[in-house]
Amino acid sequence: MIEISNLTFRYREGSAPVVRDVSLTVPDGTFLGITGAAGSGKSTLTYAFNGIIPHCYPGDFYGSVVIDGLDTCTSSLTDVSRLVGSVCQDIESQMVSSVVEDEILYGLENFGVPKDEIGRRVSEALDAMGIADLRHRSIAGLSGGQKQKVAVASVIALEPRVLVLDEPTAELDPASSVGVFELLRRYAREHGTTVIVVEQKIALLSEYADELLIVDGGTVVFKGAPAEVLAHSDELLEIGVNCPRATSLVNRLRRRGLYAGPAARNVDEAVAACKEVLA
Amino acid sequence: MIEFRNVSASYAEELPVLRDVSFTVPDGDFVAFVGTNGAGKSTTMRLVNGLLKPTSGEVLIDGASTRDLKTSELAAKVGFLFQNPDRQICCETVREELLFGFKVLGRADSEAEARVDAMIERFGFDADAEPFLLNRGTRQLLALASIIVMEPPVVVLDEPTTGLDFRECGKVMDAIAAMNARGTTVIMVCHDMEVVGDYARRVIAMTAGQVVADGPTFEVLRDRAVLERAHLLPPQVAGVSMRLGEELAGCAGTPVAWANTLDEMERALADAVGSSATRGEDAR
Repeated sequence: MIEISNLTFRYREGSAPVVRDVSLTVPDGTFLGITGAAGSGKSTLTYAFNGIIPHCYPGDFYGSVVIDGLDTCTSSLTDVSRLVGSVCQDIESQMVSSVVEDEILYGLENFGVPKDEIGRRVSEALDAMGIADLRHRSIAGLSGGQKQKVAVASVIALEPRVLVLDEPTAELDPASSVGVFELLRRYAREHGTTVIVVEQKIALLSEYADELLIVDGGTVVFKGAPAEVLAHSDELLEIGVNCPRATSLVNRLRRRGLYAGPAARNVDEAVAACKEVLA
Repeated sequence: MIEFRNVSASYAEELPVLRDVSFTVPDGDFVAFVGTNGAGKSTTMRLVNGLLKPTSGEVLIDGASTRDLKTSELAAKVGFLFQNPDRQICCETVREELLFGFKVLGRADSEAEARVDAMIERFGFDADAEPFLLNRGTRQLLALASIIVMEPPVVVLDEPTTGLDFRECGKVMDAIAAMNARGTTVIMVCHDMEVVGDYARRVIAMTAGQVVADGPTFEVLRDRAVLERAHLLPPQVAGVSMRLGEELAGCAGTPVAWANTLDEMERALADAVGSSATRGEDAR
């Protein structure tokens, strides 16, 4: 479980805090989607999950972040990274090897995972991301979608309790983006791993996340099941967060008094709502 | 006008990434190239601006082959926005970045200065800011502005909205639409089908290095066979409309089954409900 209590953080060179008094509990196995406008503080908030603040960026850190009983502020970054695996926005910057298998091995060897266990971990990670066939391929020759899956596989091989991903599908086509989210959701369910994804693609978050967290001005303005959060499409728009069009459509029908059901998260739910309206 | 005549292209010794591609983009058009990663869209963009020459066939810009045009001649005709703005930002201040293109062409005169000032005002840039310290969205806007400011007859944009938030995306796309309204030909690669539906007038769908569909935006994006072949999903409202048309007998042939925008769909549904409520009086 992740428990954030009254977290406030100001970068040393910043004039004001970018995260303000955030308190948050994330139960194990939750697929948490975080979004917000540029500069809302969402990336800094994710840096709190993986210990990058306060360990890598100097600044004023108030409050606490506790992951499975471990206080990220008073523990070493190495201990935090055994619990929390991170996939950066720019995956090229985290790739260290030239061959897929070596990339997966790198973290395992650094963490001193016993030799007889390494083989199993590599195979399972590749299988979980559906890329067993890429094991001996050169990373340079992979597509963006394949590289993204390698980056995730190299982190899940470490069997973290929490997986943090910053815009994992930014450069991917729609089909590959859906593929990555499908794999993440399945992995979270099968392993009880908490998955935290920061994304601009709110249609994907709405469809796959158990909980949506909307950040604005360094604070959490909405937190809840996607259908609950998406019911506030007007307020979201005001803070620079656009709902999926399927959601906006159903919210318009709700506003006209044509439909009284919950907000739609995707096309299927919007089709069902429209059918009800037309019945 | 841009013309691809039976163009094939490959990198180094590898298999061709583009196979026998032909299409014509008339002046002032707004075309979106869609398809999966690796379909050949970015390669097509590189062929338009001459960064890549075809291995066979011809790419013609206003009738001249990109093989015969000098890089400087091509650069004056075709502005290019890379997918990653950091690949093209090279100056130490925003103002210098916007002036860079003029300097390279030896045209950094008072008119250039005036255009740069107008651009700084329009996008609300801090003229003295260091580009690499700006956030991703602002860097993307700066890279785009440094192209717009040159007013090239054609702009080629490789995923102009990647990684931008909703407001930034709107700013970037509105600037592109305004440029198109003034006559600039726009050719873009875009993975966001909502953006494609909102802005492009024409869509070219690619799969495995070939064009699988070329037509008005919603004709292509509502064609189930094309969507399947190119692994695409339609914009959501069009998707809802298609499903209702297919699944409800009463909707086929009504506005509900052809609505593409939120406004069209809201009106179509409201009218459908209204007309069913007064069905008894309805002569139809």
